[in-house]
Amino acid sequence: MTSVSELSDFYYKELYPSLSSLEKTRKDIASRLRLYGGTGIVAFLLIAVWIGKNVGLGHPLMFVVIIAFTALSGFVYRHMTTGYAKDFKERIITPLIGAIDPNLLYSPHFMISRYLFERSDLFKHSIDRYSGNDYVQGSIDGVPLEFSDIHAEYQTRDSKGRTQWHTLFRGLFLVSEFNKHFNAKTLVLPDQAEKTFGTLIGGWLQSVNMSRDDLIRLDDPEFEQHFVVYGNDPIEARYILTHSMMKRIIEFQKKLSHPLYVSFVNNHIHIAIDTGKDLFEPVIFTSLLEYSQAMEYVTMLRNTIGLVEELKLNEKLWSKV
Amino acid sequence: MKIFLILLGILALILILMYNSLIGKKNQVDNIFAGVDAVLKKRFDLIPNLVASVERYMEHEKSTLAQVTELRAQGMKPDLSDEQKIALDAALTSALRSINVAMEAYPDLVANENVMHLQRSLNEVEEQISAARRAYNQAVTDLNNAIEMFPTSLMAGWMKLSRRAVFEITATERQNVNVQELFSR
Repeated sequence: MTSVSELSDFYYKELYPSLSSLEKTRKDIASRLRLYGGTGIVAFLLIAVWIGKNVGLGHPLMFVVIIAFTALSGFVYRHMTTGYAKDFKERIITPLIGAIDPNLLYSPHFMISRYLFERSDLFKHSIDRYSGNDYVQGSIDGVPLEFSDIHAEYQTRDSKGRTQWHTLFRGLFLVSEFNKHFNAKTLVLPDQAEKTFGTLIGGWLQSVNMSRDDLIRLDDPEFEQHFVVYGNDPIEARYILTHSMMKRIIEFQKKLSHPLYVSFVNNHIHIAIDTGKDLFEPVIFTSLLEYSQAMEYVTMLRNTIGLVEELKLNEKLWSKV
Repeated sequence: MKIFLILLGILALILILMYNSLIGKKNQVDNIFAGVDAVLKKRFDLIPNLVASVERYMEHEKSTLAQVTELRAQGMKPDLSDEQKIALDAALTSALRSINVAMEAYPDLVANENVMHLQRSLNEVEEQISAARRAYNQAVTDLNNAIEMFPTSLMAGWMKLSRRAVFEITATERQNVNVQELFSR
């Protein structure tokens, strides 16, 4: 698989024609957005002053105006950037993924199936709205994998009957075949209880968590600091989470600045990285040619696809074929 | 009187909870040991095949192979205590490891698809055994802690529960691989 430095070369050399034409579009959109934004703010202030003078700022009309402006600016932004985002994915992300490994297939509008997301059992809440994009599928060193951006939400009603949407998970979700056979279910979750309440009370809270299987305490103190493990077979959990596997998961978590969720179900590993945002989307107000921005696209893709190597899922030491 | 009854009720509840948690921990140890036993048996099943397929090649390791067969025969005996099984497991693991290392010196063996498949199966079982050992050690540590810590220690004494032995991690397992040593052989 191609390394990050080779990829950044590829980004600046091979993609240069696409980059420069896209960069022109981007500058154009950015300047128009600034213009519309400025005009919008001035218009909004004028209206606000007028309302303040005539009916007072606390008047319901003021709320209507705020909502109308927010909706309008959202609509204008989306309308102006959709074409650019589509071009960006076609001309930058698609060839980048091809450069990482030609066996990978990229579909910008598709996502990982809801069935796989629910099978992972990482998030206990029922899902009322499920969406996603930037789906990549293929195999690395013979290990099948797929990933995409996912946004899973649930709905609640308050006492007045208003519905509210809450994000259950937003970020990157990856499913890959695991190189060992297993029948049980093992979940590795970020350790929030022990971090908040300390080892004694937090540990006790974890052990009485009714919604999960049994708490499994592992013999790696550093791993225990970062994660809490639940499973229905203590032996299989340790068969999967060997000492070296725990080390690799810790190393991977250290590279991320977001919470990491891992589950082992049905001979597959499911990885959820809670980034809280949509990935692989172009940023309008930063240059495409800027190094840090370019590296963000490149490293995010490379590290996600590189997980197979990172966690050594391609090691065929076992009789599994 | 009422207060006395309430206190008595609370005390009874605490005793019951302590009793149940100790029984739970003891059963967990037994339960996991059954799992350990199952994977140890799995390894016993592989050994005759392995010995049969490698003994034609491995002239110099005859004694180790004999030792492995002997240990397997001992392990198959029905009335072994947990401690004896643990000791046998340690001996068998180190004997198998030395065979594994010695096999590298025989190109015929390494080229033999059948033997390699057996070795991979054995590696897999070793990994399962290691997982089972770790699970068992954790369960035993939980039980031993409860037996020694106050106030469950009082209850454990009355229930005649005793400390269990854990699987020792053998010295070879703990040692880091010395690459230089591997090359200079």
